[in-house]
Amino acid sequence: MLIADALLQGILMGLLFALVSLGLTVIFGVMDIVNFAHGEFLMLGMYSVYWANFFFHIDPLIALPVSAVVGALLGLASYYWFIKYLLRGPAIAQLFGTFGLMLFLQYFAMFLFSADYRMIDKGLLVGKSLSVGPFIFDWTKLAAGILSLVAFAVVYYFLHKTKTGKALQATSLNKEAASYMGIRTDRMNAIAWAIGGGTVGMAGGLLVNFYYAYPMVGILFVMIAFACVALGGFGSIKGVFFAGLLVGILEMIFPVFGHLIGSDFLGPHFKFTVVYLAYFIIVVVRPQGLFGWKN
Amino acid sequence: MEKLKDALNFSDFSKAERIGLIIFSVFLLTFPWIGAGSFTTTVMIQFLLFSLFGMGWNTIGGYGGQVELGKAQYVGIGSYTVALMMVWWKVPFWVSMPIGILIAVGYSFIIGYPLFRLKGHYFAIATICTSLVLKDIFDNWNLVGAAKGIELPIHDHPDFLYMQFKSDTYYYYFIMALFYIGLFYMNWFRKSKLGYQLRMIKDDENAAESLGIDIRWCKIKAYSIASAFVAVGGGFMAVYNLYIDPASTMELSLSIKIALMAMLGGAASLWGPIIGAAFLVPLDRFLGSWLGGQKGLTGIDFMIYAGLIMIVSAYQPRGIWGIIEQFRKRGH
Repeated sequence: MLIADALLQGILMGLLFALVSLGLTVIFGVMDIVNFAHGEFLMLGMYSVYWANFFFHIDPLIALPVSAVVGALLGLASYYWFIKYLLRGPAIAQLFGTFGLMLFLQYFAMFLFSADYRMIDKGLLVGKSLSVGPFIFDWTKLAAGILSLVAFAVVYYFLHKTKTGKALQATSLNKEAASYMGIRTDRMNAIAWAIGGGTVGMAGGLLVNFYYAYPMVGILFVMIAFACVALGGFGSIKGVFFAGLLVGILEMIFPVFGHLIGSDFLGPHFKFTVVYLAYFIIVVVRPQGLFGWKN
Repeated sequence: MEKLKDALNFSDFSKAERIGLIIFSVFLLTFPWIGAGSFTTTVMIQFLLFSLFGMGWNTIGGYGGQVELGKAQYVGIGSYTVALMMVWWKVPFWVSMPIGILIAVGYSFIIGYPLFRLKGHYFAIATICTSLVLKDIFDNWNLVGAAKGIELPIHDHPDFLYMQFKSDTYYYYFIMALFYIGLFYMNWFRKSKLGYQLRMIKDDENAAESLGIDIRWCKIKAYSIASAFVAVGGGFMAVYNLYIDPASTMELSLSIKIALMAMLGGAASLWGPIIGAAFLVPLDRFLGSWLGGQKGLTGIDFMIYAGLIMIVSAYQPRGIWGIIEQFRKRGH
């Protein structure tokens, strides 16, 4: 029973993790850049919904597009004003550059919003729960899971069915060949950053319904996203979906196992340790991930 | 003997650099006498400590070109070994520090073996992961004080064996001695076989491999050297602060700082980590005490810090030293 409950909760979290990781894998696929600031886009998405709710009393659910737009604009701004210049340098500079961006956004948020933990306490879904048989779901988590799934499906459709999406995929398969076909790499990069920022911003908007927003919240989720992306195979969109689910389930079910066998060492403190370890083991044993195609 | 001569031989540097080194050394030696307050002494100790960390990172991160972002775990290993042995068995610092180094090196071999199957982003993230796993374990391990950390027993009298002094000046000279050992070692290292092999690997792994260099083994060796450096600094941190906890010794931000200082100063150059630390440590401390203390300005110091990193990585990935060299070339 406990396990079934953890499984269902894990699936809901996993859908959200998949949405968080989606942008990271799209950006990696198109440009071979690992965006360390990804978690900070999430954090600013969380804050945008929080403030919309705080100042204008907009329901967090309705303010969701705000967070997506904020995320997408942030992605575009960081691409055009910063990442573009990083591309000229070696890979090590790109890593440090996005790291710098991460620190900058973290402390920018701390400067603007202070280090307080903030949480939405009023809203359509906040604090309500749905009981189905023996299971009790928080509406906020249920909405997060379902809307994540919807957003993921939309992006998946965009990438596989529209012309722009196909161009994006062509660029990630082979940048040069795609540019010979008249696909502008620069524009594709910008679109990848917009999608990346938008999806993760929206994930932040969903997350803030049941999780504290604070300037350093990003690092935890970016590590989870790294684990998902590695598990799914860097650059693989299908992979990151299943990887997100798996990590979500793992993260929920692990403490339950610990509880069942009465071990303190498998307690909830270690639920993210498992995620880090999983990343380490995955990349060492199977660097291409579950569905990976890019080395 | 030959190695020692090599380590002390700075003759392949330009005259300006050698004069700079001498002036810098004189400044370091006389610093406690030229009217330094306790705050500046702390800043100087921090500077020397981070130069030491940075020099360690430079072996694998600079010469080897591997983006290593998990050095904090070795700070933790070094400091926890010293602290725990002192608390549990009253082992003097001079015994526990070498043991700390040995543990760090042993651990780095164990971790390094799987770690160096990876390259680029995969490697960078994996180093963060290993460091965070260790921090999580220490955060929850009651035997070693968990998140509360451990306090070192304070002696009534200054004790050289346990490295307990009343004045910061002694600590200053001790870390300065460590700094010079590190500097001379690095001066030898950059001219050693391993140093050349690493630079070759950084330039072109395939070419290095075809010349018969065992890439993975070279990287592991450099990684363990880096870990030893960092563990020494960690041991020093334990006796200097007399209190350690996972948050101050194993935090991700510490790993980042170590790597960034070397990067900002100029990776793969002997002076890089020192310049980086000389730049960032005072910036960090003074900005922190000026701005951080004022209400409503928290975070500005780190924003400037991060902005610098972004500018350097976008415009001159070779860091401050790269900028200096650029100017010098233009001058000729």
